Amino acid sequence: MELLHFLLDNLKEYAILMLDPAGYVKTWTPAAQRLKGYKPEEIIGKHFSVFYAKEDVESGKCERELEAAARDGRFEDEGWRLRKDGTRFWANVVLTALRDSKGDLRGFGKVTRDLSDRRQVEERLRQQSRDVMEMATVPVVQVWEGILLVPLIGMLDSARTQQLMERLLERLTETSSPVALLDITGVPAIDTQTAQHLIETIKAVRYIGAEVVLTGVRPAIAQTLVHLGVDLSSATTRASLAAGLRVALGLLNLHVAAANASGQAAV
Amino acid sequence: MSEPISVVKVRNVLLVSMPADPDDSTVAALQDRTLEAMSKYDARALVLDLSKVEILDSYFARMVSETAQMVSLMGGDTIIAGMQPALAVTATELGVTLGRTRTAMTVERALEVAGQPRGSAAKLL
Amino acid sequence: MTALDCGEVKIDAEADIAMARRAVREVALKVGFGATEVARIVTAASELGRNVYKYAHTGVMHWRVLESGIGAGIELRFEDNGPGIPDINDALREGFTTGGGLGMGLPGAKRLMDEMNIESQPGNGTKVVVRKWRRH
Repeated sequence: MELLHFLLDNLKEYAILMLDPAGYVKTWTPAAQRLKGYKPEEIIGKHFSVFYAKEDVESGKCERELEAAARDGRFEDEGWRLRKDGTRFWANVVLTALRDSKGDLRGFGKVTRDLSDRRQVEERLRQQSRDVMEMATVPVVQVWEGILLVPLIGMLDSARTQQLMERLLERLTETSSPVALLDITGVPAIDTQTAQHLIETIKAVRYIGAEVVLTGVRPAIAQTLVHLGVDLSSATTRASLAAGLRVALGLLNLHVAAANASGQAAV
Repeated sequence: MSEPISVVKVRNVLLVSMPADPDDSTVAALQDRTLEAMSKYDARALVLDLSKVEILDSYFARMVSETAQMVSLMGGDTIIAGMQPALAVTATELGVTLGRTRTAMTVERALEVAGQPRGSAAKLL
Repeated sequence: MTALDCGEVKIDAEADIAMARRAVREVALKVGFGATEVARIVTAASELGRNVYKYAHTGVMHWRVLESGIGAGIELRFEDNGPGIPDINDALREGFTTGGGLGMGLPGAKRLMDEMNIESQPGNGTKVVVRKWRRH
């Protein structure tokens, strides 16, 4: 599925955002905010032409790009883009058409990378401090409407688990997201304590009415879990983030189906 | 004095809302009032609205678990709605179990879910 | 120590458990704990207060605001002249505090707080002290 390749290729370093089929911004990420300056509430629902210089908008560049992406699956361009404060930056942009299993266009993924030199140096520095920060904080990223991704990196001690639980639960309720993707690809080893913490996090997410899909369970981790006698069977687990994302989208569809089946929303 | 429990029938689902910090006798009333209403209204599901609740200790958790069990014996499903993050965290750390119930983020979603068939969707919490 | 920094709640009736919770919530909020921490402290107080009522039928909860190099904190002391705990290690080792309503809720309270001290002897009553410090 194109969405999966898209996300996997671009997750860590670029400003990712999602557009609906008409080009309106659907989702926003912290990296996008850092690059373009808009807060989520300022940009979601607006047309992506706000990122373009006036002359480009007038010449119909935005529509042409969407058409090209829809036709060829992918469109790449280099050019000037605008930040919120009006300043320009030279960007590399890739628009990817996202289609469902029937082939219908569901939207576009847009990945923007700032190519200006200064930005590259800044980015390198930021990545370094991010690596340090990542040991202490917990990143929670909205990758789709209704799906939050937590790419865990490093070991999970008590303090970090507490932070993780509290932050994740808050974000889930704030965004009314039914699914949390907990990716442990970056967790080097699992001991009984870490497994216990994961189980608790999954439990707490269930309590608030959301569901966890645990991904990144590679062979070594699976072995350790079985040897430790840890029972994660009540959770949904997958070896890869891609597979987990598939499950997550499936869960979202069930969600929509339930809402539709019950007729008008209760007030 | 503790605020009362509210019991409302929505189509054929029972919606019971708990106050913020119910004392023991109010929590005990949850069971009695729920079962009474279940049989009176012939409801096929219970939506337990915990969105106002600030504390869930072991006694409260046990009452919820038992109530869900009784509702199940009467042929109904229990869906817990609106549990706040702070509550979910402490409930997990305290190590309580809430029985075989489903959960939903809001009362609206819980009412939607109440229409679905039971069985595999209900997880042991 | 001024009167605002400490207080007590008698636990003689079932309704007093809720009273203890309310008092603890007020103090915890004043000390400046966040929402989740307040929830942890109040839940621990509820478990320990319930123990007092369940096993001794009468007792008292003392609360105290703490200050130290670490920062601000709260201390709760539950005392009763009840039957006492025969084996403290056993009581602390139990798997779950609830479900069947068995068990004394001690492991849960310990988990929720930062420190716990128990003094108890069969026939000599029980004293449980718990503390939590504000994270910065």
